[in-house]
Amino acid sequence: MTWVRTKLELERMAPGEALEVRCAEGEALENVPRSAAAAGHDVAVDGRIVRIVRR
Amino acid sequence: MSDRRGFLKSLVGAPPARDDAAPDPRLERYSRQLVLPEWSEAAQRRLEAAGVLVVGAGALGSPVATYLAGAGVGRVGIVDGGDVELSNLHRQHLHFTPDLGVPKAHSAASKLRFLNPEIVVEPYHAEFAPAMVEGQDLVVDCTDSFATRYAVNAACCKAGIALVEAGVTGMTGLVMAIRPGHTACYRCAFPHAPADAPSCAEAGILGPAAGVIGSMQALEALKLLAGLPALTDAFAQVDLAALEVLRVAVERRAGCPDCGGA
Repeated sequence: MTWVRTKLELERMAPGEALEVRCAEGEALENVPRSAAAAGHDVAVDGRIVRIVRR
Repeated sequence: MSDRRGFLKSLVGAPPARDDAAPDPRLERYSRQLVLPEWSEAAQRRLEAAGVLVVGAGALGSPVATYLAGAGVGRVGIVDGGDVELSNLHRQHLHFTPDLGVPKAHSAASKLRFLNPEIVVEPYHAEFAPAMVEGQDLVVDCTDSFATRYAVNAACCKAGIALVEAGVTGMTGLVMAIRPGHTACYRCAFPHAPADAPSCAEAGILGPAAGVIGSMQALEALKLLAGLPALTDAFAQVDLAALEVLRVAVERRAGCPDCGGA
């Protein structure tokens, strides 16, 4: 569900805006950066924090 | 990575640290479609605001109504003047053996309400009448009669309401999406009913064949509601024996008595 919430939040944002997502270890931390990158956003991971800049 | 506009949102980072926000049943119910690249929250809201009339609660209407209700269409009307019969059950999956003799519209509505209590389901135990399309955002024609099919097409063209047509018999089917006034209508594609088309009772039908065609019809309905490209100005001719789909282009027909043509 973390990626679903993230995707919807990104839809509400303007290109260039950044979103910081604190993910649980495991599935969320694997899925969120992978799915965000696949959707074309800029992604950086720092521990459990995934920072995404909307494309 | 730089914060290009100096604007940072934090989705779940508010202290104290939490890995996820509170459960959201609506989000969870629709999560598998919301996560699609082709889908969006805006598309979901369009669905929730929409009223769709499903004409026929049988072999096509069962998958169509099921998928539309499950997807979160806000108001699903279901029209059928018949009652559940034993010969329906192998292909009309909204009806079960204890429903024998129950009006199909009510039998279908009761299952759809179990499926998604968040939406409004309106059963109409009646034959189709043109006035039923008024106020709808989309009509899905799931009848097995050419006379009704042309009546639904004419009513939707007159009212300017989007329509998804389909038919299935034996091992073949057809699906077509229509935006009246913009794309070819059913009568543009098929000016006259075939003289010798057999009914399901005569030609027979396998349940999954109707399920496939009804599922394609539901998919086209969701595309139209969400504003995605749909199967317009064309129909899909589906050969389920060979598992082949032929896309046949059609054009608006000048002087079409239903849509006026181009």
